[in-house]
Amino acid sequence: MSQTAAAARYVGQSVKRLEDPRLVTGHGRYVDDIVLPGMLHAAFGRSDLARAAITRLDTSAAEALDGVHAVCTGADLNSHNDSLRASLYPPESPAPPANMLADGDVRFVGDPYVMVVAESRYIAEDALDLVEVEFEPLVPVVDYETAAESDHHVHPELGGNLAHDLPVPNPATDEAFADAAHIITETWHQHRQTNVPMETRGIVASWQPHAGVMEVWASTQSPHELQLVGARVLGIGEHKMVVHFGDVGGGFGQKMFLGREDMAVLVVAKLLGSPVKWIEDRRENLLASNHARIEQMSVKMAVGEDGSFLAADLDQLEDDGAYPLGGPATPGAMATMLFPGPYRMGPVSWRARTVYTNTCGRGAYRGPWQMESVAREQMIDRVAREIGMDPLELRRRNVLTPEDLPYQVSTGLHFETTISPEQTLEQAAEMIGYDEFRAEQADARKEGRYLGLGMALYIEPTSMGMGPLGTESAMLRVEVDGHVNVFMGTGSHGQSLETTIAQLVADELGVRPGDVTLHQGHGSGYGFGTGGSRSAVIAGSAARAAASGVRDKVVAIAAHLMEASADDLEVADGVISVKGTPAASMTLAQVAATAYQNSDALPPGTEAGLEHTARYKAPPSTHSNACHICTCELDPGTGKVTLLRYVVSEDCGVLINPMVVDGQIAGGVVQGIGGVLYEHAVYDESGNPLASTFLDYLVPTAAEVPELQTGHVVVPSDTPGGHKGTGEGGAIGAPPAVFNAVADALAPFGVYPNRQPLDPNTVLSLIASASN
Amino acid sequence: MADQIPLSMTVNGQTRRGLGEPRLTLADFLREQANCTGVHLGCEHGVCGSCTVLMDGEAVRSCLLFAVQADGADITTVEGLAPDDETLHPVQEAFRDCHGLQCGFCTPGFVVSVAAFLETNPDPSDDEIRHGIAGNLCRCTGYQGIVAATRQAAATMKGSRQS
Amino acid sequence: MVGLLAEHGDDAKPLAGGQSLVPLLAMRLTRFEHIVDLNRVDELFGVSADNGGVRIGAMTRQAAVETDDAVADRAPLLHLATPHIGHFQIRNRGTIGGSIAHADPASEYPAVMLALDGVAEIASASGTREVPAAEFFESTFMTAVAPDELLVALRFSAWNQLAGFAFDEIARRSGDFALAGAAVGIGTDADGRINRAAVGMLGVGPTPLRASSVEAALMGLAASDADPAEIGRLAADDMDPIGDVHASVEYRRQAGSTLVGRVLANALAQVSTEAGNG
Ligand SMILES: Cc1cc2nc3c(=O)[nH]c(=O)nc-3n(C[C@H](O)[C@H](O)[C@H](O)COP(=O)(O)OP(=O)(O)OC[C@H]3O[C@@H](n4cnc5c(N)ncnc54)[C@H](O)[C@@H]3O)c2cc1C
Ligand code: FES
Ligand code: FES
Repeated sequence: MSQTAAAARYVGQSVKRLEDPRLVTGHGRYVDDIVLPGMLHAAFGRSDLARAAITRLDTSAAEALDGVHAVCTGADLNSHNDSLRASLYPPESPAPPANMLADGDVRFVGDPYVMVVAESRYIAEDALDLVEVEFEPLVPVVDYETAAESDHHVHPELGGNLAHDLPVPNPATDEAFADAAHIITETWHQHRQTNVPMETRGIVASWQPHAGVMEVWASTQSPHELQLVGARVLGIGEHKMVVHFGDVGGGFGQKMFLGREDMAVLVVAKLLGSPVKWIEDRRENLLASNHARIEQMSVKMAVGEDGSFLAADLDQLEDDGAYPLGGPATPGAMATMLFPGPYRMGPVSWRARTVYTNTCGRGAYRGPWQMESVAREQMIDRVAREIGMDPLELRRRNVLTPEDLPYQVSTGLHFETTISPEQTLEQAAEMIGYDEFRAEQADARKEGRYLGLGMALYIEPTSMGMGPLGTESAMLRVEVDGHVNVFMGTGSHGQSLETTIAQLVADELGVRPGDVTLHQGHGSGYGFGTGGSRSAVIAGSAARAAASGVRDKVVAIAAHLMEASADDLEVADGVISVKGTPAASMTLAQVAATAYQNSDALPPGTEAGLEHTARYKAPPSTHSNACHICTCELDPGTGKVTLLRYVVSEDCGVLINPMVVDGQIAGGVVQGIGGVLYEHAVYDESGNPLASTFLDYLVPTAAEVPELQTGHVVVPSDTPGGHKGTGEGGAIGAPPAVFNAVADALAPFGVYPNRQPLDPNTVLSLIASASN
Repeated sequence: MADQIPLSMTVNGQTRRGLGEPRLTLADFLREQANCTGVHLGCEHGVCGSCTVLMDGEAVRSCLLFAVQADGADITTVEGLAPDDETLHPVQEAFRDCHGLQCGFCTPGFVVSVAAFLETNPDPSDDEIRHGIAGNLCRCTGYQGIVAATRQAAATMKGSRQS
Repeated sequence: MVGLLAEHGDDAKPLAGGQSLVPLLAMRLTRFEHIVDLNRVDELFGVSADNGGVRIGAMTRQAAVETDDAVADRAPLLHLATPHIGHFQIRNRGTIGGSIAHADPASEYPAVMLALDGVAEIASASGTREVPAAEFFESTFMTAVAPDELLVALRFSAWNQLAGFAFDEIARRSGDFALAGAAVGIGTDADGRINRAAVGMLGVGPTPLRASSVEAALMGLAASDADPAEIGRLAADDMDPIGDVHASVEYRRQAGSTLVGRVLANALAQVSTEAGNG
C-alpha cells in the first residue's frame, strides 16, 4: 500500500524504541563502562561536619601509599578555576567562591576537601583513610527559615546568607483584598528531596598533551555545557574539548550542569596527563550532588462570595544550600510568576528570596519551579474547605476556558489559544468517576474508613526559548548507503530521543525510523541539551527542518535521474517513486550514491552530497497542561497512606510516540508520589544528613505505586510539529494531587496539613493533634 | 595490598579466569574481568538491585558477594539471557514492547530479577508482580511499563512452556 | 571454622549471607582483618525435623526456610514472617543464622525466635552450648554469641495443641525493615481457653521484645471472648522504642500497639477456625 511521504506514518505511533535492544541486553555504554589504558581513579574525602575550620590537613601518609598518584587539596586545585557557574549565567552573577575543593573550611556535610587519584578505586579509598585531618567545628546555618538573619555566614566572602531577594509589589491587590468576601492564608512547605538518577554522576577525562585536547566521557544531560564550561575551566579552546556522549542513566536535572567534582577531575587529569575516572558512589550522590524542593510559599488569597479568585499575595523562600549546582538559580521567581496557573486569578504581588545554608546545594529537579502548582493547588483545596465548596466545583468556576483565550496573566505570562486546562480537568474528573468516588467516600466514612481524593491542574511552560535555551540544531546527512545520520546537541538520558527524533525524520524524509541514527555529543552543533521539557519542540523542530531540507534535494535529484516531475514523486520507506506508478522508483541509497560518488550525474547546479543543517529558534514558550487526580485510603491506626487510583489527563500537543509520553508522565508522577509520601533528605539540627543510603532515602518501589491511567487532549501548538514539551509535568502535578488526597482523607479529623512529607509518622501525629 | 587470588567461574556459559584481592566484589569481577558491563552498580549496598545476576540459577546481588565466593559457580548476567545476538529473551522482548525502560540503567537488574521471579511464580497476580519486583529500583519509568512487561513475559513464557 | 575464630579473636568475623555484613564493609563502616566465610561449611545448612520440632542450620538461606514444609508445619510463625524479610534476591543469600546473629531489633526472625522460645546452638573451640531465646538478645546488635563463637543452629519446638499464628508489620516500603511488627502465637485447650500466648515484637525496642502484658491478659480467656484491639493496647507498656528518621518513639508505641491488636485478631481468628475444623 502506498502512502504519501508527507502523511504522518510514524509520528503518533508507539514505535518500539531503537535504544532498547542494546539496553535490555546489557550492551549500553555508560560512563563507568569506559576503560582507557593507564586510567586512574579518583575518590573524594568529604566533610562529616556541616561547618568547620580545617585546622590540620596532612596528606603525606596517603601520598605514600602504593598505587597513589596524587592527593590534591583545595590549595592545590582551586586556583585553576575562576568560577563554578554554568554557561547559562553571566559572569557577574552572584555566586559562591569557586572552590572545587574546600579550602580552609568545610561548608556542608559532604563538602569535598581532598581528592585522591590512584590505580584503583579500592586504593584511592584506602588512601582517603590515611589522610590526616582535624576540624574545629563552627556553628552551622541549617534552618533556611532563619538563615537570612543569622550572624553565621555560609560563605564569609559574601558577607551574608541572602542570595537573592526579588520583591514585586502590586498595588492592585490591595483593593481586591479590601473587597474580598474571604481572605485565606497559609504557608506551604516542601521538604528536601533529591533527584536520584539510578546511575550516579561520573566522568572520565583524558588529556592529550601537544594536541592540547581534553577528551571526556561523562554522564551528562548536556554535552555542550560540559564542552563550554570544561573549556573555560581548563583555559582551552572549545574545539579542544571533545565530549563523547554515551548512555546516561537518568538525571532529572542533576546532570545539566558540571559539579565541583567534575571540574576537579578535568583539572587533575590535565595536571597528571593520565586519564582519570570518577564514579560517584550512592552515598555521595545522596549527600553531595544536589538537593531540591526545599522551600516554602506563603499565600494569601482573596476570594469572592461565589468562590471566584480575586487576588493573591505570595512570599516565597527557598534554600540554595552551600554550593547550588550550576550556580544560584532562582526558581522561586519563576514559581511566583507562574502561580496564577490555569485560572483567572486577578492581580498578584510577590516576593521571592533565596538563602545559603550549610547543606547540600540546591539543583534543578524535574519541574524546578513546581512550587507554584504545589502552593496553588493545595491552596485551592484549602479555600474549598474554608468556604464549603467542592474543590472540583471551585476549580470549574475559576478555570480558564477556551473563551478566555488568549489570556494575559497579571504576572506577565501570556497564554496562547492552544492550551486546554478546562478540557483536561473535565477529562480527568470523568476518568476517575468523580461523583461516584464522592459517594463511595461518604459510605466509607460511615464505616470508619478514610478515603481521600486530590486533584491538581496546572500549565507548564515548556521549551522555553530564551537565551542559551532558545535553539537547537540538527545536522542531517544521508550516507552513501542511504542510512541517515543526525547530529544534535541534545543529551537523551531516558527520553527516547533516538527513537522520537528518528520518527520525526522518518516522516519528513520518507524513511523508516530504523534508517535513522541519532548522534549526540562531539561533532554536533551547539545546543543546550536535554532538560526543561524542550527536546520534542526545539530539537524536534530542528530535526524536522533538516530532514525537510534533505528531502527537497532527494526529490530534485531523483526527479532528474528518473526524468519525472518532482511534484509527481513520493518518498516512503527509503524509496522514491512516481505516485501511482510504484514500479518507477529508485532507492534513497541510489540517490545518495549519485550525490556523493557520481556527482556529475546530478541536476545542473546541484551541490554534491546529501546533507543539510537546520537550526530552530523556539518561541518564548510553549505550554503543556494537565490535570492529575488520585484517590487514597488512609489507615488511621498506622498512618499509612495507600494510593488507590491515579489518573492524568494531559495535553502535550501532537504526540510523537504515545508510549514514550505516557512513560514520561508515569516517571514524573512516581517521583512526585515519592516526594510527598516517602522521600526525605533530612538533616538533624546540627546539619548531619540522616538519609545517606537507599535504606533511608526511600525511592518508591513498584509496590508503592498504583496503576496509572492517562488520557490525552490534543490541541496542537503553533510550533512546526504542533508538539509541546512533556518531560517534567508528572513531577509538577503529582505532589499537590497526592498531598490534596491525603489532606482530604484527613478532613474528618479536622486537621490541615501544610507540609510534607506525609509519612505514617506525620499522619499519625496530625490525627493525634486533632484528638487533643 | 592483600594477595591476589586466582578465580575461575562460568559466566554466561564460558569459563572466565581472573585474579582478585579477597575484597573484590563479584560485581567488579564481572564488570572488569569478564566483560559483563551490563552488571550495573546503582548503590553498592544491596538495595537497588541493578547488579542482580543469577548464581547457580538464583537471583542474587552481585555487589554483596565477593568474587572468591563465586569461585567455581555458574553465573548468568543480563548479557547471557538472550539465546543469540539476534533474538531477545521473552523478558527482554517484553520490556521493549511495554516501555519497561527509559534510561536503561536499572534494566539489567530488572530483567534478570523478573526472569528469576517468573521461574518460581509463572502465573503471578498484579499484586504479586508489584511485590516480586520491589527489590529493584527504577527512577525513570514509574514501574508502569515494568509491571506490564512482567505480565506479558509471564504469558509468553507460560505459552512456550505449554507448547 | 571455630578454630579460625579462636585464633583471630576480634579481628575475625564470620560471613554468612553477607546481606548485612557486606554493605557495612562496602560503606567502610566496619572492617576486619579476617572474614571467615561459612558458605562452604555443609553441616551448617539444612532443616531437620527432630523430636517434636525443627532444627535449622545457621546457614540455611531465608529462601529455604520460606519453602520448607517442616518449618511451615512445626514453626509456622517463621514461615509467615519470612516473606517480610527484604526481597527474594536478599532471601536467596541471607541466612537465618545471620539474621539472628546480626540481631537487628527491626528484623523479623529475632522477634519470632523470642516469641517461639527458640534455642540457639552455639559452638566454640571449647565445645557447644545452648542459649534460650530469652537470654540470647542482649542489646542492640549484641547477642550471646561471643566473637570466638559460632551460631550453629536454631531449634524450635512445635506447639502440640490447638493454635493460631499470625505475623504482620508496618514498613515504609515493601521489603523494608519494619517500623513495628508483631509475631503472635495463641494456643488453647480443647475448650478454647487460651493456655499459651506468645507475642514477639520487632522495631519497638533496642532488642526484639515480648509483649508480656498482652500475654498475661490473654491467658485463661476464651479465645472467642478476647478483645484483641483492647488487649493489644497493653503492648505499649511493653515497648521501649527508639526514634529514628522513619518513625518517632511515640509513633512506634502507638502504631505498634495497634498492630499488635490486629495481628492478635488474626491469630485468634485462626484458632477459632482450627477449633472449628478439629
Ligand atoms: C535490601 C535489603 C533489605 C533487607 N531487609 C530486611 C528485612 O526486612 N528484615 C530483615 O530481617 N533483614 C533484612 N535484610 C538483612 C538480611 O535479612 C540479612 O540477610 C540478615 O540480616 C543477615 O543475614 P546474613 O546471612 O546475610 O548475614 P551476614 O550479613 O553475613 O552477617 C550478619 C552478621 O551476623 C554475623 N554472623 C552471621 N552468621 C553467623 C554465625 N553463624 N555465627 C556467628 N555470627 C554470624 C556476621 O558476622 C555479621 O556480623 C535486608 C538486607 C538488604 C540488603
Ligand atoms: S548495586 Fe547491588 S543492589 Fe545496588
Ligand atoms: S529506566 Fe532509568 S532507572 Fe529504570
